[in-house]
Amino acid sequence: MRETYAAPLPGMNLAEMSGKLIVIEGTDGVGRSTQIRLLRPWLEQQGRAVLDTAIKRSELAGKGIQQAKEGHTLGRITLSLFYATDFADRLEHEIVPALRAGFVVLTDRYIYSLMARAIVRGADARWIRNAYGFALKPDATFYLRIGVDDLIPRVVFSRGFDYWESGMDIHPSEDMYDSFRKYQTELLTEFERLAKEYNFEVIDASHDVRTVFEHLRAGVARVLSGEPREPLFSVVAPAGESAEAASKKVLEMPGKPTAPISEEPASAAQALTRAVEGDATK
Amino acid sequence: MKRYGEHRFPGKLFVVEGIDGSGKSTQLALLHQWLQGEGYGVVFSEWNSSPLVRETTKRGKKKQALTPSTFSLIHATDFADRMEHNILPLLKAGAIVLCDRYIYTAFARDVVRGMDRQWVRELYSFAVKPTAAFYFRVPLEVAMKRILDGRNGVKYYEAGMDLGLSEDPEESFGIFQGRILNEYEKMVPEFDLTTVDATLPIEEQQVYMRQIAKAKLAQAKRLRVAP
Repeated sequence: MRETYAAPLPGMNLAEMSGKLIVIEGTDGVGRSTQIRLLRPWLEQQGRAVLDTAIKRSELAGKGIQQAKEGHTLGRITLSLFYATDFADRLEHEIVPALRAGFVVLTDRYIYSLMARAIVRGADARWIRNAYGFALKPDATFYLRIGVDDLIPRVVFSRGFDYWESGMDIHPSEDMYDSFRKYQTELLTEFERLAKEYNFEVIDASHDVRTVFEHLRAGVARVLSGEPREPLFSVVAPAGESAEAASKKVLEMPGKPTAPISEEPASAAQALTRAVEGDATK
Repeated sequence: MKRYGEHRFPGKLFVVEGIDGSGKSTQLALLHQWLQGEGYGVVFSEWNSSPLVRETTKRGKKKQALTPSTFSLIHATDFADRMEHNILPLLKAGAIVLCDRYIYTAFARDVVRGMDRQWVRELYSFAVKPTAAFYFRVPLEVAMKRILDGRNGVKYYEAGMDLGLSEDPEESFGIFQGRILNEYEKMVPEFDLTTVDATLPIEEQQVYMRQIAKAKLAQAKRLRVAP
């Protein structure tokens, strides 16, 4: 029997949802969609039917939100409610039918990102929690954790700074870098709070794509096999350490050298080729 | 984020509520005329009128793809947009804001559609409390007759056809409106709604409305726009 955080939606039968609901959470640019692109074929190879869904993909509200955001005239409460509409539409028309049909549902962000964004923009935490009270509790939430110092180079060297991801609506500044750093730091702090409250399984996303994928894959395999959670993925801060201290620790995590996304397997192959060619020329 | 309660802005907020056919829009239009004539700065805001979500609502209604939850949330989005961009700034600026339907409409309709009573109330907790909320009380049969005589049929969501109450739109409309009426009656004490007997002649209702508005405006002289 599935559970919801508060009252379920009218007519929603919580029994008979044999599929698995797996959430991938994390801030903008941390690599969630890259990981989902890797997870999906891996699951399908094992014969699992997969539905992947993400914010703003609803048939009802996706387009409307996109248009509204282009105007930059969205009020903060309005934006939150527009997202909630999009979420409810996807929940009822995509996620629930897929769970009933026994699919593995991989969702790129869930209510937590939407809550974090709203809270950072000044929404009342109780209010936003109530708004999403009808959400299904997932089978697992994997949080791709990264510090702002590791995040910045990834964003800069991939898609660049985005108006909303830089929180330009709340930190209007001439400098998108400053705004990005400030906004993402606030967002990451909020994510840490949510990680504790909602018992996320934390994955260190400062590593290269393949390493992150290996951790994630192990976690997903465990969820699908129905085994209990391993302490390895526990997010509980060491005894005596406050949530603030724990989150600070993450933010101050020294930047680890990250291998560019596609190079790892390629360079391994190149090394092999070199070795073979080396042998041949000898 | 401010929560539902008395606002301290210089403006005043008057809202009208009631089932379809209760005559509330007619009364609000008359009040509007009078207030303007008295020299006040008056602005009107109607339920479900934000340009921001218009396309989304239209799409959902046309395809009959709205569920109780998305019906509720899209209307809340519409209301939030008007609240943030229209109603609040105007109240701060000292205007008189007139709303044809307010949060009580959502409380009635969404609960009848099966949404959780407390959930909807909390969802709209960012709304300001009106200076006065007029509830036009009318027996179901009277309102039904007014609506069904005046136009050719009722629309799908208006008749609550999404609830599967009846195959017949008129019958569905009757059952749906009856349930909404029940919700309104429960809200009269809960939200201290000012009840207007909507079976009285139009002029009499208007006299009553103006009396109440006048009393509320007594302390608001500075709102007056210089002639």
